[in-house]
Amino acid sequence: MPAFFGQLITATDEDRRAFETHPAVVDAVANGMTIERYRKFLLELYHVVWHFNPVCATAASRLPDTWASVRMFLYEHMHEEAGHEQWVLNDLEAVGVGRDEAQAHAPSPYTLALNGFNYWAPERRHPCAVLGMLYSLEVISSVYGSPFAAAIRESLLLEGDRGVSFIASHGSLDTQHMAELRQVLNPLEGDEAQAAIIEAVRVNFHHFTHILAEV
Amino acid sequence: MSLATAPAHGIAGLLGRPYKTLRLEWSSDLRVLRARMQVRPIQCYSLAAMGELQQVFNDLSNNPGLARHFVLSSDVPKVFNFGGDLSLFVLLVRARDIDSLRLYGGRCVDLIWWVEHAAQLGIHTIALAQGDTLGGGLESVLPFHRVVFEKSTQAGFPEVLFNLFPGMGAWDFTVRRAGMAVASEMILSGRLFSADELLYRRLVDIVAEDGQGELVIEQVIHEVEPRHRGTMAALRAHRLSSPIRRESLDAIVDHWAECALTLTDRDLRLMERLARAQVRKAGGAEEGAVEEIKRMELDTAWGERRTGMDRRDTGAADRRVLS
Repeated sequence: MPAFFGQLITATDEDRRAFETHPAVVDAVANGMTIERYRKFLLELYHVVWHFNPVCATAASRLPDTWASVRMFLYEHMHEEAGHEQWVLNDLEAVGVGRDEAQAHAPSPYTLALNGFNYWAPERRHPCAVLGMLYSLEVISSVYGSPFAAAIRESLLLEGDRGVSFIASHGSLDTQHMAELRQVLNPLEGDEAQAAIIEAVRVNFHHFTHILAEV
Repeated sequence: MSLATAPAHGIAGLLGRPYKTLRLEWSSDLRVLRARMQVRPIQCYSLAAMGELQQVFNDLSNNPGLARHFVLSSDVPKVFNFGGDLSLFVLLVRARDIDSLRLYGGRCVDLIWWVEHAAQLGIHTIALAQGDTLGGGLESVLPFHRVVFEKSTQAGFPEVLFNLFPGMGAWDFTVRRAGMAVASEMILSGRLFSADELLYRRLVDIVAEDGQGELVIEQVIHEVEPRHRGTMAALRAHRLSSPIRRESLDAIVDHWAECALTLTDRDLRLMERLARAQVRKAGGAEEGAVEEIKRMELDTAWGERRTGMDRRDTGAADRRVLS
Protein backbone atom coordinates (compact mmCIF):
# COMPACT_ATOMS: atom_id res chain seq x y z
CA MET A 1 0.00 0.00 0.00
CA PRO A 2 1.63 3.29 -1.07
CA ALA A 3 1.72 6.25 1.29
CA PHE A 4 -1.36 8.46 1.18
CA PHE A 5 0.08 10.97 -1.29
CA GLY A 6 0.58 8.11 -3.77
CA GLN A 7 -2.91 6.79 -3.06
CA LEU A 8 -4.32 10.26 -3.66
CA ILE A 9 -2.52 10.60 -6.99
CA THR A 10 -3.77 7.21 -8.11
CA ALA A 11 -7.34 7.74 -6.90
CA THR A 12 -7.67 11.14 -8.58
CA ASP A 13 -5.49 10.71 -11.65
CA GLU A 14 -8.45 10.51 -14.01
CA ASP A 15 -9.86 13.69 -12.44
CA ARG A 16 -6.53 15.43 -13.12
CA ARG A 17 -6.56 14.08 -16.64
CA ALA A 18 -10.18 15.16 -17.13
CA PHE A 19 -8.98 18.70 -16.39
CA GLU A 20 -5.88 18.37 -18.57
CA THR A 21 -7.75 16.89 -21.52
CA HIS A 22 -10.85 19.10 -21.48
CA PRO A 23 -11.05 20.77 -24.91
CA ALA A 24 -11.05 24.24 -23.35
CA VAL A 25 -7.89 23.48 -21.38
CA VAL A 26 -6.22 21.79 -24.35
CA ASP A 27 -6.98 24.84 -26.47
CA ALA A 28 -5.80 27.29 -23.80
CA VAL A 29 -2.51 25.46 -23.24
CA ALA A 30 -1.96 24.93 -26.97
CA ASN A 31 -3.05 28.30 -28.33
CA GLY A 32 -3.47 30.66 -25.40
CA MET A 33 -6.56 32.87 -25.23
CA THR A 34 -8.02 35.98 -26.74
CA ILE A 35 -7.63 39.08 -24.57
CA GLU A 36 -11.34 39.01 -23.76
CA ARG A 37 -11.25 35.42 -22.55
CA TYR A 38 -8.07 35.96 -20.59
CA ARG A 39 -9.60 38.97 -18.82
CA LYS A 40 -12.66 36.89 -17.92
CA PHE A 41 -10.43 34.09 -16.68
CA LEU A 42 -8.41 36.42 -14.45
CA LEU A 43 -11.61 37.93 -13.05
CA GLU A 44 -12.77 34.47 -12.02
CA LEU A 45 -9.30 33.56 -10.77
CA TYR A 46 -9.24 36.67 -8.59
CA HIS A 47 -12.29 35.43 -6.72
CA VAL A 48 -10.78 31.95 -6.30
CA VAL A 49 -7.49 33.31 -4.98
CA TRP A 50 -9.23 35.84 -2.70
CA HIS A 51 -10.97 32.98 -0.86
CA PHE A 52 -7.91 30.75 -0.64
CA ASN A 53 -6.67 31.92 2.75
CA PRO A 54 -10.13 32.37 4.33
CA VAL A 55 -10.90 28.75 3.39
CA CYS A 56 -7.60 27.63 4.95
CA ALA A 57 -8.44 29.65 8.08
CA THR A 58 -11.88 28.05 8.27
CA ALA A 59 -10.31 24.61 8.16
CA ALA A 60 -7.53 25.49 10.60
CA SER A 61 -10.06 26.76 13.11
CA ARG A 62 -11.75 23.35 13.09
CA LEU A 63 -8.65 21.20 13.45
CA PRO A 64 -8.13 19.94 17.00
CA ASP A 65 -4.66 19.30 18.43
CA THR A 66 -4.71 15.73 17.14
CA TRP A 67 -4.25 17.39 13.74
CA ALA A 68 -1.81 20.05 14.95
CA SER A 69 0.72 19.31 12.21
CA VAL A 70 -1.89 20.03 9.53
CA ARG A 71 -2.94 23.22 11.32
CA MET A 72 0.66 24.44 11.54
CA PHE A 73 1.12 23.64 7.86
CA LEU A 74 -1.95 25.72 7.03
CA TYR A 75 -0.65 28.66 9.08
CA GLU A 76 2.64 28.63 7.15
CA HIS A 77 0.85 28.20 3.87
CA MET A 78 -1.49 31.10 4.56
CA HIS A 79 1.48 33.27 5.39
CA GLU A 80 3.11 32.44 2.06
CA GLU A 81 -0.07 32.98 0.06
CA ALA A 82 -1.09 36.19 1.81
CA GLY A 83 -1.74 39.02 -0.61
CA HIS A 84 -1.42 36.95 -3.76
CA GLU A 85 -4.84 38.12 -4.91
CA GLN A 86 -3.08 41.47 -5.43
CA TRP A 87 -0.90 39.78 -8.05
CA VAL A 88 -4.03 38.83 -9.97
CA LEU A 89 -5.23 42.42 -9.73
CA ASN A 90 -1.87 43.58 -11.11
CA ASP A 91 -2.22 41.15 -14.02
CA LEU A 92 -5.75 42.38 -14.64
CA GLU A 93 -4.50 45.96 -14.74
CA ALA A 94 -1.81 44.93 -17.21
CA VAL A 95 -4.50 43.62 -19.57
CA GLY A 96 -6.75 46.62 -19.15
CA VAL A 97 -9.09 45.79 -16.26
CA GLY A 98 -9.13 48.25 -13.36
CA ARG A 99 -9.19 47.22 -9.70
CA ASP A 100 -12.69 48.54 -9.11
CA GLU A 101 -14.03 46.53 -12.01
CA ALA A 102 -12.28 43.39 -10.80
CA GLN A 103 -13.55 43.71 -7.27
CA ALA A 104 -17.08 44.42 -8.48
CA HIS A 105 -17.10 41.42 -10.81
CA ALA A 106 -19.84 38.90 -10.05
CA PRO A 107 -18.20 35.44 -10.05
CA SER A 108 -19.60 32.76 -12.32
CA PRO A 109 -21.77 29.98 -10.86
CA TYR A 110 -18.83 27.54 -11.08
CA THR A 111 -16.57 29.92 -9.14
CA LEU A 112 -19.28 30.33 -6.53
CA ALA A 113 -19.72 26.55 -6.43
CA LEU A 114 -15.97 26.00 -6.03
CA ASN A 115 -15.66 28.51 -3.21
CA GLY A 116 -18.89 27.34 -1.63
CA PHE A 117 -17.73 23.73 -1.61
CA ASN A 118 -14.33 24.64 -0.20
CA TYR A 119 -15.96 26.42 2.77
CA TRP A 120 -18.54 23.68 3.23
CA ALA A 121 -16.26 20.63 3.09
CA PRO A 122 -14.07 21.47 6.16
CA GLU A 123 -17.22 22.11 8.16
CA ARG A 124 -19.42 19.23 7.05
CA ARG A 125 -17.00 16.56 5.79
CA HIS A 126 -13.66 16.88 7.56
CA PRO A 127 -11.37 19.88 8.17
CA CYS A 128 -8.59 18.05 6.29
CA ALA A 129 -10.68 18.43 3.10
CA VAL A 130 -8.86 21.73 2.69
CA LEU A 131 -5.77 19.71 1.74
CA GLY A 132 -7.70 18.48 -1.30
CA MET A 133 -8.23 22.08 -2.38
CA LEU A 134 -4.54 22.80 -1.87
CA TYR A 135 -3.48 19.70 -3.77
CA SER A 136 -5.64 20.30 -6.83
CA LEU A 137 -4.93 24.03 -7.10
CA GLU A 138 -1.21 23.44 -6.67
CA VAL A 139 -1.20 20.66 -9.25
CA ILE A 140 -2.94 23.02 -11.64
CA SER A 141 -0.46 25.81 -11.01
CA SER A 142 2.77 23.81 -10.70
CA VAL A 143 2.15 21.38 -13.57
CA TYR A 144 0.10 23.47 -15.97
CA GLY A 145 0.91 27.03 -14.86
CA SER A 146 4.15 27.46 -16.82
CA PRO A 147 2.87 26.04 -20.16
CA PHE A 148 -0.33 28.07 -19.81
CA ALA A 149 1.61 31.25 -19.05
CA ALA A 150 3.84 30.58 -22.08
CA ALA A 151 0.78 30.13 -24.29
CA ILE A 152 -0.81 33.35 -22.98
CA ARG A 153 2.42 35.29 -23.52
CA GLU A 154 2.63 34.03 -27.11
CA SER A 155 -1.00 34.60 -27.97
CA LEU A 156 -1.23 38.08 -26.43
CA LEU A 157 2.34 39.14 -27.22
CA LEU A 158 3.01 39.96 -23.57
CA GLU A 159 6.56 40.66 -22.43
CA GLY A 160 8.15 38.89 -19.48
CA ASP A 161 5.75 38.29 -16.60
CA ARG A 162 3.63 41.34 -17.36
CA GLY A 163 0.01 40.21 -17.26
CA VAL A 164 0.92 36.63 -16.30
CA SER A 165 2.79 37.20 -13.03
CA PHE A 166 0.41 35.16 -10.89
CA ILE A 167 0.30 32.13 -13.18
CA ALA A 168 3.97 32.18 -14.14
CA SER A 169 5.25 32.68 -10.61
CA HIS A 170 3.02 30.00 -9.14
CA GLY A 171 4.26 27.62 -11.80
CA SER A 172 7.64 27.69 -10.03
CA LEU A 173 6.61 28.74 -6.47
CA ASP A 174 4.34 25.76 -6.07
CA THR A 175 7.17 23.37 -6.83
CA GLN A 176 8.28 23.60 -3.23
CA HIS A 177 4.68 23.65 -2.05
CA MET A 178 4.00 20.29 -3.71
CA ALA A 179 6.90 18.68 -1.87
CA GLU A 180 5.71 20.17 1.43
CA LEU A 181 2.16 19.06 0.78
CA ARG A 182 3.35 15.50 0.14
CA GLN A 183 5.09 15.51 3.52
CA VAL A 184 1.85 16.61 5.22
CA LEU A 185 -0.34 14.15 3.34
CA ASN A 186 1.83 11.04 3.58
CA PRO A 187 1.41 10.31 7.30
CA LEU A 188 -2.26 11.32 7.27
CA GLU A 189 -4.48 8.53 8.60
CA GLY A 190 -8.20 8.08 9.05
CA ASP A 191 -10.74 6.99 6.47
CA GLU A 192 -12.96 10.01 6.98
CA ALA A 193 -10.15 12.52 6.48
CA GLN A 194 -8.73 10.68 3.48
CA ALA A 195 -12.15 10.34 1.82
CA ALA A 196 -12.83 14.05 2.35
CA ILE A 197 -9.49 14.97 0.73
CA ILE A 198 -10.10 12.73 -2.27
CA GLU A 199 -13.60 14.16 -2.71
CA ALA A 200 -12.27 17.72 -2.47
CA VAL A 201 -9.64 17.02 -5.13
CA ARG A 202 -12.31 15.69 -7.48
CA VAL A 203 -14.64 18.62 -6.92
CA ASN A 204 -11.87 21.21 -7.28
CA PHE A 205 -10.58 19.74 -10.55
CA HIS A 206 -14.13 19.48 -11.86
CA HIS A 207 -15.22 23.00 -10.96
CA PHE A 208 -11.94 24.63 -11.99
CA THR A 209 -12.20 22.91 -15.37
CA HIS A 210 -15.63 24.44 -15.85
CA ILE A 211 -14.53 27.86 -14.66
CA LEU A 212 -11.94 27.81 -17.42
CA ALA A 213 -14.34 26.35 -19.96
CA GLU A 214 -17.01 28.97 -19.27
CA VAL A 215 -14.89 32.06 -19.85
CA MET B 1 -8.61 2.18 -12.14
CA SER B 2 -12.10 1.40 -10.98
CA LEU B 3 -12.38 -1.81 -12.96
CA ALA B 4 -13.70 -4.78 -11.14
CA THR B 5 -10.90 -7.12 -10.20
CA ALA B 6 -12.88 -10.34 -10.07
CA PRO B 7 -11.60 -12.74 -12.73
CA ALA B 8 -13.45 -12.61 -16.02
CA HIS B 9 -14.94 -15.87 -17.22
CA GLY B 10 -14.35 -16.51 -20.89
CA ILE B 11 -14.27 -13.99 -23.67
CA ALA B 12 -17.68 -12.54 -22.76
CA GLY B 13 -16.42 -11.67 -19.30
CA LEU B 14 -13.25 -10.15 -20.71
CA LEU B 15 -14.98 -8.06 -23.37
CA GLY B 16 -17.77 -7.08 -21.00
CA ARG B 17 -15.65 -4.91 -18.76
CA PRO B 18 -16.18 -1.14 -18.99
CA TYR B 19 -13.00 -0.03 -20.78
CA LYS B 20 -12.36 3.64 -21.26
CA THR B 21 -8.91 3.67 -22.84
CA LEU B 22 -9.07 0.44 -24.82
CA ARG B 23 -11.23 -0.88 -27.64
CA LEU B 24 -11.20 -4.65 -27.72
CA GLU B 25 -12.07 -6.88 -30.67
CA TRP B 26 -12.33 -10.62 -30.72
CA SER B 27 -12.02 -12.91 -33.73
CA SER B 28 -13.30 -16.29 -32.67
CA ASP B 29 -12.13 -18.21 -35.74
CA LEU B 30 -8.41 -17.71 -35.04
CA ARG B 31 -8.89 -16.65 -31.40
CA VAL B 32 -7.32 -13.25 -31.91
CA LEU B 33 -7.76 -10.57 -29.27
CA ARG B 34 -7.07 -7.08 -30.54
CA ALA B 35 -6.58 -4.16 -28.17
CA ARG B 36 -6.65 -0.68 -29.64
CA MET B 37 -5.51 2.03 -27.28
CA GLN B 38 -7.49 5.27 -27.24
CA VAL B 39 -6.18 7.49 -24.47
CA ARG B 40 -7.60 10.77 -25.69
CA PRO B 41 -6.66 13.40 -26.47
CA ILE B 42 -3.03 12.57 -25.63
CA GLN B 43 -2.21 8.94 -26.29
CA CYS B 44 0.10 7.97 -23.46
CA TYR B 45 0.45 5.39 -20.72
CA SER B 46 -1.76 7.05 -18.13
CA LEU B 47 -2.37 5.19 -14.88
CA ALA B 48 -5.89 4.33 -16.05
CA ALA B 49 -4.67 3.05 -19.42
CA MET B 50 -2.07 0.86 -17.76
CA GLY B 51 -4.65 -0.41 -15.28
CA GLU B 52 -6.99 -1.44 -18.08
CA LEU B 53 -4.27 -3.11 -20.11
CA GLN B 54 -3.09 -4.98 -17.02
CA GLN B 55 -6.67 -6.10 -16.44
CA VAL B 56 -6.80 -7.54 -19.97
CA PHE B 57 -3.53 -9.35 -19.35
CA ASN B 58 -4.78 -10.70 -16.02
CA ASP B 59 -7.96 -11.93 -17.69
CA LEU B 60 -5.94 -13.66 -20.39
CA SER B 61 -3.76 -15.29 -17.73
CA ASN B 62 -6.87 -16.43 -15.85
CA ASN B 63 -8.38 -17.95 -18.98
CA PRO B 64 -5.61 -20.18 -20.34
CA GLY B 65 -6.08 -21.22 -23.94
CA LEU B 66 -8.65 -18.51 -24.60
CA ALA B 67 -6.56 -16.40 -26.99
CA ARG B 68 -3.91 -17.61 -29.41
CA HIS B 69 -2.91 -14.16 -30.66
CA PHE B 70 -2.83 -10.75 -29.01
CA VAL B 71 -2.45 -7.61 -31.13
CA LEU B 72 -1.82 -4.16 -29.69
CA SER B 73 -2.35 -1.09 -31.85
CA SER B 74 -3.71 2.44 -31.58
CA ASP B 75 -7.06 3.99 -32.37
CA VAL B 76 -5.55 7.49 -32.43
CA PRO B 77 -4.62 8.55 -35.97
CA LYS B 78 -0.88 8.99 -36.61
CA VAL B 79 0.07 8.24 -33.01
CA PHE B 80 0.89 4.84 -31.56
CA ASN B 81 1.90 6.10 -28.15
CA PHE B 82 3.77 9.07 -26.72
CA GLY B 83 4.95 6.97 -23.78
CA GLY B 84 4.84 8.17 -20.22
CA ASP B 85 2.28 10.61 -18.86
CA LEU B 86 4.53 13.69 -18.85
CA SER B 87 2.22 15.80 -16.70
CA LEU B 88 2.15 13.06 -14.09
CA PHE B 89 5.96 12.89 -14.18
CA VAL B 90 6.21 16.64 -13.67
CA LEU B 91 3.78 16.38 -10.76
CA LEU B 92 5.68 13.52 -9.11
CA VAL B 93 9.09 15.12 -9.62
CA ARG B 94 7.89 18.44 -8.23
CA ALA B 95 6.39 16.62 -5.24
CA ARG B 96 9.69 14.73 -4.77
CA ASP B 97 7.60 11.55 -4.68
CA ILE B 98 10.09 8.80 -5.45
CA ASP B 99 7.71 6.09 -4.20
CA SER B 100 5.06 6.98 -6.76
CA LEU B 101 7.68 7.28 -9.51
CA ARG B 102 8.81 3.74 -8.63
CA LEU B 103 5.19 2.60 -8.52
CA TYR B 104 4.56 4.04 -12.00
CA GLY B 105 7.72 2.42 -13.36
CA GLY B 106 6.81 -0.86 -11.67
CA ARG B 107 3.41 -0.89 -13.35
CA CYS B 108 5.07 -0.36 -16.74
CA VAL B 109 7.43 -3.24 -16.04
CA ASP B 110 4.51 -5.46 -14.99
CA LEU B 111 2.99 -4.91 -18.43
CA ILE B 112 6.10 -5.65 -20.45
CA TRP B 113 6.86 -8.60 -18.18
CA TRP B 114 3.50 -10.15 -19.09
CA VAL B 115 4.19 -9.64 -22.80
CA GLU B 116 7.68 -11.09 -22.35
CA HIS B 117 6.13 -14.28 -21.00
CA ALA B 118 3.02 -14.46 -23.18
CA ALA B 119 4.38 -17.49 -25.06
CA GLN B 120 4.19 -19.45 -21.81
CA LEU B 121 0.44 -18.88 -21.97
CA GLY B 122 0.39 -19.96 -25.60
CA ILE B 123 -0.24 -16.42 -26.81
CA HIS B 124 1.54 -15.02 -29.84
CA THR B 125 1.93 -11.24 -29.55
CA ILE B 126 2.06 -8.60 -32.28
CA ALA B 127 2.43 -4.82 -31.98
CA LEU B 128 1.38 -2.55 -34.83
CA ALA B 129 2.59 1.07 -34.80
CA GLN B 130 0.99 3.40 -37.34
CA GLY B 131 2.34 6.68 -36.04
CA ASP B 132 4.57 8.44 -33.53
CA THR B 133 6.06 5.96 -31.06
CA LEU B 134 8.04 7.75 -28.41
CA GLY B 135 9.82 6.81 -25.20
CA GLY B 136 7.68 4.39 -23.24
CA GLY B 137 5.59 3.84 -26.35
CA LEU B 138 8.63 2.33 -28.06
CA GLU B 139 9.69 0.44 -24.94
CA SER B 140 6.26 -1.12 -24.73
CA VAL B 141 6.43 -2.76 -28.18
CA LEU B 142 9.90 -4.27 -27.84
CA PRO B 143 8.88 -7.45 -25.94
CA PHE B 144 6.25 -8.35 -28.55
CA HIS B 145 7.05 -11.37 -30.70
CA ARG B 146 6.47 -9.40 -33.89
CA VAL B 147 6.82 -5.64 -34.19
CA VAL B 148 5.23 -4.12 -37.29
CA PHE B 149 5.70 -0.43 -38.16
CA GLU B 150 4.00 1.41 -40.96
CA LYS B 151 6.50 3.24 -43.11
CA SER B 152 5.90 6.82 -41.94
CA THR B 153 6.14 5.90 -38.27
CA GLN B 154 8.86 7.72 -36.36
CA ALA B 155 10.19 6.41 -33.09
CA GLY B 156 12.87 7.02 -30.54
CA PHE B 157 13.85 7.57 -26.95
CA PRO B 158 13.88 11.37 -26.48
CA GLU B 159 14.28 11.26 -22.68
CA VAL B 160 17.96 12.25 -22.72
CA LEU B 161 16.95 15.61 -24.19
CA PHE B 162 15.53 16.51 -20.79
CA ASN B 163 18.29 14.72 -18.87
CA LEU B 164 16.45 11.49 -18.21
CA PHE B 165 16.59 8.06 -19.83
CA PRO B 166 13.95 5.48 -20.74
CA GLY B 167 13.72 3.34 -17.60
CA MET B 168 11.10 0.72 -18.32
CA GLY B 169 12.88 -1.90 -20.36
CA ALA B 170 14.52 0.13 -23.13
CA TRP B 171 18.06 -1.03 -22.41
CA ASP B 172 17.34 -4.72 -21.88
CA PHE B 173 14.94 -5.17 -24.76
CA THR B 174 16.82 -2.99 -27.26
CA VAL B 175 20.06 -4.80 -26.48
CA ARG B 176 18.39 -8.17 -26.97
CA ARG B 177 16.77 -7.17 -30.25
CA ALA B 178 19.49 -5.04 -31.78
CA GLY B 179 22.65 -5.17 -29.70
CA MET B 180 24.40 -2.80 -27.34
CA ALA B 181 25.67 -0.43 -30.06
CA VAL B 182 22.17 0.27 -31.33
CA ALA B 183 20.78 0.60 -27.79
CA SER B 184 23.51 3.10 -26.95
CA GLU B 185 23.00 4.99 -30.17
CA MET B 186 19.26 5.30 -29.66
CA ILE B 187 19.11 5.97 -25.94
CA LEU B 188 22.10 8.30 -25.71
CA SER B 189 21.26 10.38 -28.79
CA GLY B 190 17.58 10.94 -28.05
CA ARG B 191 17.06 11.19 -31.78
CA LEU B 192 14.10 9.92 -33.73
CA PHE B 193 14.36 7.12 -36.27
CA SER B 194 12.29 6.22 -39.28
CA ALA B 195 10.63 2.83 -39.57
CA ASP B 196 13.18 1.80 -42.19
CA GLU B 197 16.09 2.85 -39.97
CA LEU B 198 14.65 0.74 -37.18
CA LEU B 199 14.14 -2.20 -39.53
CA TYR B 200 17.77 -1.91 -40.58
CA ARG B 201 18.77 -2.02 -36.92
CA ARG B 202 16.54 -5.08 -36.35
CA LEU B 203 14.44 -3.30 -33.74
CA VAL B 204 11.40 -3.64 -35.96
CA ASP B 205 10.54 -6.92 -37.69
CA ILE B 206 8.40 -5.70 -40.57
CA VAL B 207 7.81 -2.35 -42.23
CA ALA B 208 4.46 -2.11 -43.99
CA GLU B 209 3.46 0.57 -46.44
CA ASP B 210 1.26 3.21 -44.88
CA GLY B 211 -2.28 1.90 -44.62
CA GLN B 212 -1.15 -1.70 -45.09
CA GLY B 213 -0.35 -2.49 -41.45
CA GLU B 214 -3.67 -4.20 -40.81
CA LEU B 215 -3.17 -6.44 -43.84
CA VAL B 216 0.31 -7.37 -42.68
CA ILE B 217 -1.08 -8.27 -39.23
CA GLU B 218 -3.54 -10.64 -40.91
CA GLN B 219 -0.71 -12.17 -42.93
CA VAL B 220 1.44 -12.67 -39.83
CA ILE B 221 -1.40 -14.35 -37.97
CA HIS B 222 -2.21 -16.66 -40.89
CA GLU B 223 1.47 -17.49 -41.26
CA VAL B 224 1.87 -18.41 -37.59
CA GLU B 225 -1.49 -20.11 -37.08
CA PRO B 226 -0.78 -23.48 -38.76
CA ARG B 227 2.40 -23.87 -36.71
CA HIS B 228 1.24 -22.06 -33.60
CA ARG B 229 2.25 -24.77 -31.12
CA GLY B 230 5.76 -25.09 -32.52
CA THR B 231 6.15 -21.33 -32.78
CA MET B 232 5.16 -20.90 -29.14
CA ALA B 233 7.60 -23.62 -28.08
CA ALA B 234 10.37 -21.98 -30.10
CA LEU B 235 9.60 -18.53 -28.68
CA ARG B 236 9.69 -19.89 -25.14
CA ALA B 237 13.08 -21.35 -25.95
CA HIS B 238 14.11 -17.99 -27.41
CA ARG B 239 13.31 -16.33 -24.09
CA LEU B 240 15.28 -19.01 -22.26
CA SER B 241 18.29 -18.52 -24.51
CA SER B 242 18.27 -14.73 -24.13
CA PRO B 243 16.55 -14.11 -20.83
CA ILE B 244 15.60 -10.69 -19.58
CA ARG B 245 15.94 -10.55 -15.81
CA ARG B 246 13.13 -9.00 -13.80
CA GLU B 247 15.74 -7.92 -11.23
CA SER B 248 17.48 -5.88 -13.91
CA LEU B 249 14.22 -4.20 -14.98
CA ASP B 250 13.30 -3.39 -11.38
CA ALA B 251 16.77 -2.06 -10.56
CA ILE B 252 16.66 0.20 -13.61
CA VAL B 253 13.25 1.53 -12.56
CA ASP B 254 14.74 2.37 -9.14
CA HIS B 255 17.65 4.13 -10.82
CA TRP B 256 15.27 5.95 -13.19
CA ALA B 257 13.17 7.20 -10.26
CA GLU B 258 16.26 8.44 -8.44
CA CYS B 259 17.46 10.22 -11.60
CA ALA B 260 14.03 11.77 -12.12
CA LEU B 261 14.38 13.52 -8.79
CA THR B 262 17.60 15.16 -9.99
CA LEU B 263 15.83 16.89 -12.89
CA THR B 264 16.25 20.64 -12.77
CA ASP B 265 13.64 23.28 -13.44
CA ARG B 266 15.10 23.66 -16.92
CA ASP B 267 14.73 19.92 -17.55
CA LEU B 268 11.13 20.03 -16.37
CA ARG B 269 10.44 23.00 -18.61
CA LEU B 270 11.73 20.98 -21.57
CA MET B 271 9.43 18.15 -20.52
CA GLU B 272 6.56 20.64 -20.30
CA ARG B 273 7.50 21.95 -23.75
CA LEU B 274 7.14 18.43 -25.11
CA ALA B 275 3.86 17.96 -23.26
CA ARG B 276 2.57 21.22 -24.71
CA ALA B 277 3.53 20.08 -28.20
CA GLN B 278 1.50 16.91 -27.63
CA VAL B 279 -1.42 19.09 -26.55
CA ARG B 280 -1.04 21.29 -29.64
CA LYS B 281 -1.25 18.28 -31.94
CA ALA B 282 -4.22 16.93 -29.98
CA GLY B 283 -5.80 20.34 -30.51
CA GLY B 284 -5.49 19.95 -34.27
CA ALA B 285 -2.12 21.55 -35.03
CA GLU B 286 -0.02 20.06 -37.81
CA GLU B 287 3.13 19.85 -35.72
CA GLY B 288 3.40 17.97 -32.44
CA ALA B 289 5.84 16.15 -30.22
CA VAL B 290 7.97 14.74 -33.05
CA GLU B 291 8.64 18.19 -34.50
CA GLU B 292 9.28 19.57 -31.01
CA ILE B 293 11.82 16.84 -30.32
CA LYS B 294 13.62 17.74 -33.54
CA ARG B 295 13.69 21.38 -32.45
CA MET B 296 14.92 20.37 -28.99
CA GLU B 297 17.69 18.35 -30.57
CA LEU B 298 18.83 21.47 -32.40
CA ASP B 299 18.28 23.78 -29.44
CA THR B 300 20.29 21.71 -27.05
CA ALA B 301 23.05 21.48 -29.65
CA TRP B 302 23.57 17.89 -28.78
CA GLY B 303 26.14 17.75 -31.49
CA GLU B 304 25.06 14.18 -32.04
CA ARG B 305 28.33 12.53 -32.80
CA ARG B 306 27.66 9.80 -35.22
CA THR B 307 28.19 6.38 -33.72
CA GLY B 308 29.29 4.90 -36.97
CA MET B 309 25.96 3.23 -37.55
CA ASP B 310 24.79 3.65 -41.09
CA ARG B 311 21.56 5.59 -41.21
CA ARG B 312 20.79 4.84 -44.80
CA ASP B 313 17.41 3.63 -45.81
CA THR B 314 18.26 0.15 -46.95
CA GLY B 315 14.85 -1.08 -47.88
CA ALA B 316 15.89 -4.32 -46.20
CA ALA B 317 13.54 -6.34 -48.35
CA ASP B 318 14.78 -9.58 -46.80
CA ARG B 319 12.96 -8.74 -43.57
CA ARG B 320 9.69 -7.82 -45.20
CA VAL B 321 8.95 -11.44 -45.68
CA LEU B 322 5.24 -10.99 -45.47
CA SER B 323 4.69 -7.85 -47.50
